[in-house]
Amino acid sequence: MKKIMTCAALALSITALPMLAQATPEDDLKAFRAYFHKRFANVPKDDFINGVYSIDKASREQWESIEEFPPYEINIEKGETLFNKPFKNGKTYADCFKNGGKAIKQNYPYFDTATGKVKTLEGEINECRVANGEKPLPYKKGKIADISAYMAYTSRGNKISVQIPDDPKALAAYERGKKHFYAKRGQLNMACADCHVYYAGNRIRADILSPALGQVSHFPVYRSKWGGLGTIHRRYGGCNKQVRAKPFKAQSDEYNALEYFHTYMSNGLEMNGPGVRK
Amino acid sequence: MKKLHTIVATTLLGFSMTACATGDTSKAAGGGAEAAISAAKASNKAAKSVGYEWRDTGKMIKKAEKLAKEGKTEEAIKLAKKAEMQGKAAQMQATSQKNAGPRF
Repeated sequence: MKKIMTCAALALSITALPMLAQATPEDDLKAFRAYFHKRFANVPKDDFINGVYSIDKASREQWESIEEFPPYEINIEKGETLFNKPFKNGKTYADCFKNGGKAIKQNYPYFDTATGKVKTLEGEINECRVANGEKPLPYKKGKIADISAYMAYTSRGNKISVQIPDDPKALAAYERGKKHFYAKRGQLNMACADCHVYYAGNRIRADILSPALGQVSHFPVYRSKWGGLGTIHRRYGGCNKQVRAKPFKAQSDEYNALEYFHTYMSNGLEMNGPGVRK
Repeated sequence: MKKLHTIVATTLLGFSMTACATGDTSKAAGGGAEAAISAAKASNKAAKSVGYEWRDTGKMIKKAEKLAKEGKTEEAIKLAKKAEMQGKAAQMQATSQKNAGPRF
């Protein structure tokens, strides 16, 4: 009898594994939301866009006073100037993007079925430059972050709307990002999810770990630690380094996939970038 | 309890086999720093190929190369072996995380 029970349990576990692997992005999103809504039951659902400030009152007060004179304001102005400055051929960034590049950040990243690649906003800013005979910009900070900040600013209030088209390559990119998010890596053997899902709200030294839900809404972000603005891939690299894993390059397929999954998990939440964080 | 003993014994056996393998690699190539550095490079390259390279392994290898050039062979070998171990651990990590996913 014991053997039969063991065999039955084994058979069940074997059949359960493919079922787990077959979770759709919609299933993942529902489970992700439910987890955070249960864990932080007192946080209004739309407030997760404020990251750690949605779960810690004392930090929120400090942050709100910083937001009265936001340090990223100058970056938005610089970004606007750069955005409108014509290239040598007379064209501008507005010629490369839908809706003249205004109020579109909520749709990024997206999967381009023609190239079979995930396209990020920063990636397309550089594609635009190259297509118009200009040199690409470095991806983590500086001018590209300023332009992205301006574009994010024009998208404030719009709801994140990342789509996973019916294309096996799109699903593969999503799954790649999901795996990066949940896989432990580096000498410290920690996953993105360890800090920002399972231990969100706990302290790591003097800081409180932010919930992963809503994290993408405020990028690019001005970080006091950086003393300036940075893109989300800069932050991904920093997180990987902190767990002593070798970071991937900004705009690599790995980080593009991660951004695709990470942003999809926040679908429906409002954009409020650029933001300011410690 | 018996299960726990089996797990511990298997793990120790694994570690000892890895250690033996590492020792053999160095001896086969003459036991110098070059062999140890080559083994570390190969191990780190394998970890990188599966996307799990650790942050400091490459730096350790570079430092081992510098020590070897300065004639500090023993120190170079020690560091290279540590780097090789990191590469192997990273490869094991990649295998263990093959099916990583949410735990909720």
